[in-house]
Amino acid sequence: MSAWGHTVTGRAKAHSVLGESFSAGVAARIAALAVAIVFFQTGVVSEVPLLGVNADLPPLLVAFVGLLCGSMLGALSGFAVGLLVDLALVQTLGVTSLIFTLIGYWSGRLRELRDPQAALTPLLVGAAASAASMIGYSLMEFLLGVEAPVSLELLRQIVLGVIVGAVVSLPTWAVVRRSLQGGLPEDPRRRRRRAYATGGLSPLSRA
Amino acid sequence: MYDKTVRRRRAVLLLLVVLSLILLTAYFGEAPGGRLHSVQRGFLTVLSPIQDGANKALKPVRDAFGWIGDTVHAKGQRDQLRKQVDKLRREVIANQTEKTSYRDLLALYHLDNQLNVSNYRPVTATVVAKSPNIWYSTVTIDKGEGSGVRINDPVINGEGLVGKVTQVASDGAQVSLITDSTMGVSARLGSTPATGIVQPKVGAPNDLLLQYLPANTQANRGDYVVTSGTVSSPDDSLYPPGIPIGQVTSVNEESAYRSVNVHPLANLHNLDVVQVLTAARGSAPARVGKLAATLPAGQTAVPGAAGAGALASTGTGK
Repeated sequence: MSAWGHTVTGRAKAHSVLGESFSAGVAARIAALAVAIVFFQTGVVSEVPLLGVNADLPPLLVAFVGLLCGSMLGALSGFAVGLLVDLALVQTLGVTSLIFTLIGYWSGRLRELRDPQAALTPLLVGAAASAASMIGYSLMEFLLGVEAPVSLELLRQIVLGVIVGAVVSLPTWAVVRRSLQGGLPEDPRRRRRRAYATGGLSPLSRA
Repeated sequence: MYDKTVRRRRAVLLLLVVLSLILLTAYFGEAPGGRLHSVQRGFLTVLSPIQDGANKALKPVRDAFGWIGDTVHAKGQRDQLRKQVDKLRREVIANQTEKTSYRDLLALYHLDNQLNVSNYRPVTATVVAKSPNIWYSTVTIDKGEGSGVRINDPVINGEGLVGKVTQVASDGAQVSLITDSTMGVSARLGSTPATGIVQPKVGAPNDLLLQYLPANTQANRGDYVVTSGTVSSPDDSLYPPGIPIGQVTSVNEESAYRSVNVHPLANLHNLDVVQVLTAARGSAPARVGKLAATLPAGQTAVPGAAGAGALASTGTGK
């Protein structure tokens, strides 16, 4: 049993995910999760500062979708969630989409290439997603001409944001994994159903 | 198959990135009334009620998180405020002490100006110890022989006469207060020329008795009693005339001499800064005092320009 909640064996099997089409159910779950998390972010999380900064859940959601579903769905959900965030928060359209697309794609590629199984992987991925999100925002703001001084305070905010992101990444991971469980191609229940139907589940893979 | 998958993945990524950049550029470049802005406003119009409802629904959750945060924050604030209170308390105490000292010094300064006690070489001293018993008749000051303080030197504060020096060391001295049973001060009623001796009242150590006043003396309640500026023996101290001692509280008429009850003006329970009138040897007041002490009883000596005012030997027995 891994941190993922199910057994994923090897790079070859992970790559095979890319060729598999996701059901509408998974997409609907991700969409519902995205809407819920964006509302939760704007309604609760943005009102509760931790260590002087606010946790940012949408990049964590995108990163974990990528980590569970692969780079394609990660990038697509990143774009969609980013667009939703930009629309909901009346921000410059495209900025968050661009950043989240890259985060989702990157985390999906991490799963496809490395397939990390450590229990701390969600925490590290969450921290990395938070860092990428904040640094990406800062870069985009600078590129768009927003005059903000590059200061120690900004650095401090980023570091604290990464720490807070890492802290909230574990519960977010649990929620995302639980929400998508059953719809994932590598889900153990689904795999077991398929194996019993075809009689192909070997004693080794069952173990 | 693998190449096709990779190509598709990359194409999707490229498409999404390009789409984002197009959105970004178009949004950034268009006017606030542009199409994308309108879409965003429309989305916001639709979303606002939902968001409002979600906000209301999530308020308990927000409050719960806020309560935890507020509690932690409040604890931090409490600790910080406690430290601040401690610091401010220390400052207030220091300020109050300084204020009291300032008030005492200011009163002394005013008294100096009124009575011209500067001729008596006043030495300002701080009370460092007080007699702990209820009679409270002596205090210790932080100036002694090194500062020119001698035995029998009068001690005053901003309110009036305090006592005289009875013991002296190199850097400290003991002052017997006017309520001490051994004390006797030549005094007069402020409104009359009648003089007498102020002594502690038997049975009421915090009150004084002005005795040996002529029987025809008109004394009224509230009259001030001041030093007369006289000495009765070579061992007695020379109090500058006019230093307030107390206020008449009642008049006794049962004896040949009239006596009045006097309440000291100086708050002897709360002494902090005092002045010792050292009248150094060789000074004009000292010379006059010495001269007065050698005169036979009943004669009066008037000092010259010593600034000590009228001085007489009364021979009133103390």
